[in-house]
Amino acid sequence: MALISTVDVSRLFGSVYAVDRVSVELNEGEGVGLIGPNGAGKTTLLSLLAGSLKPTQGKIMMEGVDVTMLPVFARVTAGIARAAQIPQTFNRLTVRENVLLPAYFGARLSQHDAGIWVDEVLEMTDLLRRAGQQAASLGLLDRKRLELAKAVASKPRVLLLDEVAAGLTEPEIASIKEVVKRLQPGRVIVWVEHIPFALQGVCSRLLVMDKGAKLLDGPFDEVWASDVLQSTYMGM
Amino acid sequence: MIRTIEIVALVMGAIIAWLAATYVDSGLQFLLCEVFLLFIMSQMWNLLAGYAGQVSFGQQMFVGLGGYGLCLIANNTGIPVWATIIIVPVIVGLLAIPLGMVVFHLKHAYFAIGMWVAAEVVFQFVVKTPALGGSGGMVLRPGGEMMQGFPEQTVLPVALFLSVALIVGLRVFLRSKLGLATLAVRDNEAAAEAAGVNIWRLHMILFTLTGAGTALAAALYYTTTLFVTPLDAFQAKWVVLMMFIVVVGGLGTLTGPVVGIALFIGIRELMTAAGYSGGQYWIVMGLLSIGVLLFLPQGLWPAFSNYVQSLRGKASS
Repeated sequence: MALISTVDVSRLFGSVYAVDRVSVELNEGEGVGLIGPNGAGKTTLLSLLAGSLKPTQGKIMMEGVDVTMLPVFARVTAGIARAAQIPQTFNRLTVRENVLLPAYFGARLSQHDAGIWVDEVLEMTDLLRRAGQQAASLGLLDRKRLELAKAVASKPRVLLLDEVAAGLTEPEIASIKEVVKRLQPGRVIVWVEHIPFALQGVCSRLLVMDKGAKLLDGPFDEVWASDVLQSTYMGM
Repeated sequence: MIRTIEIVALVMGAIIAWLAATYVDSGLQFLLCEVFLLFIMSQMWNLLAGYAGQVSFGQQMFVGLGGYGLCLIANNTGIPVWATIIIVPVIVGLLAIPLGMVVFHLKHAYFAIGMWVAAEVVFQFVVKTPALGGSGGMVLRPGGEMMQGFPEQTVLPVALFLSVALIVGLRVFLRSKLGLATLAVRDNEAAAEAAGVNIWRLHMILFTLTGAGTALAAALYYTTTLFVTPLDAFQAKWVVLMMFIVVVGGLGTLTGPVVGIALFIGIRELMTAAGYSGGQYWIVMGLLSIGVLLFLPQGLWPAFSNYVQSLRGKASS
């Protein structure tokens, strides 16, 4: 059984289908790259998975259980977490406190266990030396790392990454990729990104969306090389 | 958990409370009761609006419910006044739950106005109910008898100690799991939900607690005045004072309201002593609010502590 799947989900904005009858099945341990031109519905699909948007039609299933109507906080406790495109940090709290919050409420850990787990997460995301700093004082790369750390701290089984590499330089992207790779085991990662270099080596599967619909879905190299992708996405 | 300095503060608070009860003269005691009870109410509004982000223009409802709850229970039952003062906030807190279920459908400015409307509805109900004394209000007559002695002698130490205990309690609360969630909501509500925090539940807990706390302070206050009228108890003046004290002092800080209350009482008492009559001090408070919001929008206390920090930064570099 798929860890998480969408069954014919659609989302209507006004009279436009941002997501149009998409069905995908995502399995444990998979890294899935989600690409497509602007307005293809990638971020909307992530929002439907994360629960910040409700589908107009269709269902979201997690291990056979219908989670469509669960609000965002309950999806987090059910094991679905999202790292946002623009880091949503708690600026007046320290880096450590930022990560403690999802450990307490998302992963439902006790104060003692959360302390140990947060150290582990900070280590994985290269933020240990910044633990005591206020989040407001971080640079962009560290803010992106913190956004990842917050998502991971809730111990998600489905990790949704929304352009976490956008706005970074190439060496910075490489370091974020290292972090994502460390987070991968035992989870589904769905990664929306415009930069193919970021997805290479992390994602084994590539999902291409266009105009709200699923266009292609398959192994990374195969999809990447396909003529359809080259013509619709790259405009070649 | 609770730190040594906080235990010291509690002990000091208890000692000063005892001294105030014994050595301060009655007139000053009456004024100080108002100071500390208004401080408690302001800190409640601060927790609700400054920390949890729920700005309410209707907290005078809880003041009114506290005052009327006190008179109704103490006058019509054999329950002593001190026990009534403990029971009233519990009842008001329970009443706040169904109210919250309704007004939480409104967000931000709509919530603020919705609370105001709710307070006005309760006010109209009280004014139009003869059993509650109508517009004339009620006199506190525990068990049908007139109150004996000077209640401010007992209320002052209680209010003073509660004020200290409240600051200590809030500090301990803000270090807890729920406190961390509250601080996170203050910074970014959507992100807090994305971390797994049930915002609705957190809001409900704080709404109930701050409503109960406001009612407790009000019950103590009306024990010193010995009567309650709807025009006084349900007046928007209460929430305006809470906002002035919190916003001018420093919204979302524990020290801000201390600065705010000192400023308010200082202005009012000095202007009254200088011969300005009636509500003229409100003009000064209004001008001061405008000035602070224009030039130091984060409030006086945060502006001051930032300034001190920048001085220290210069000194060390």
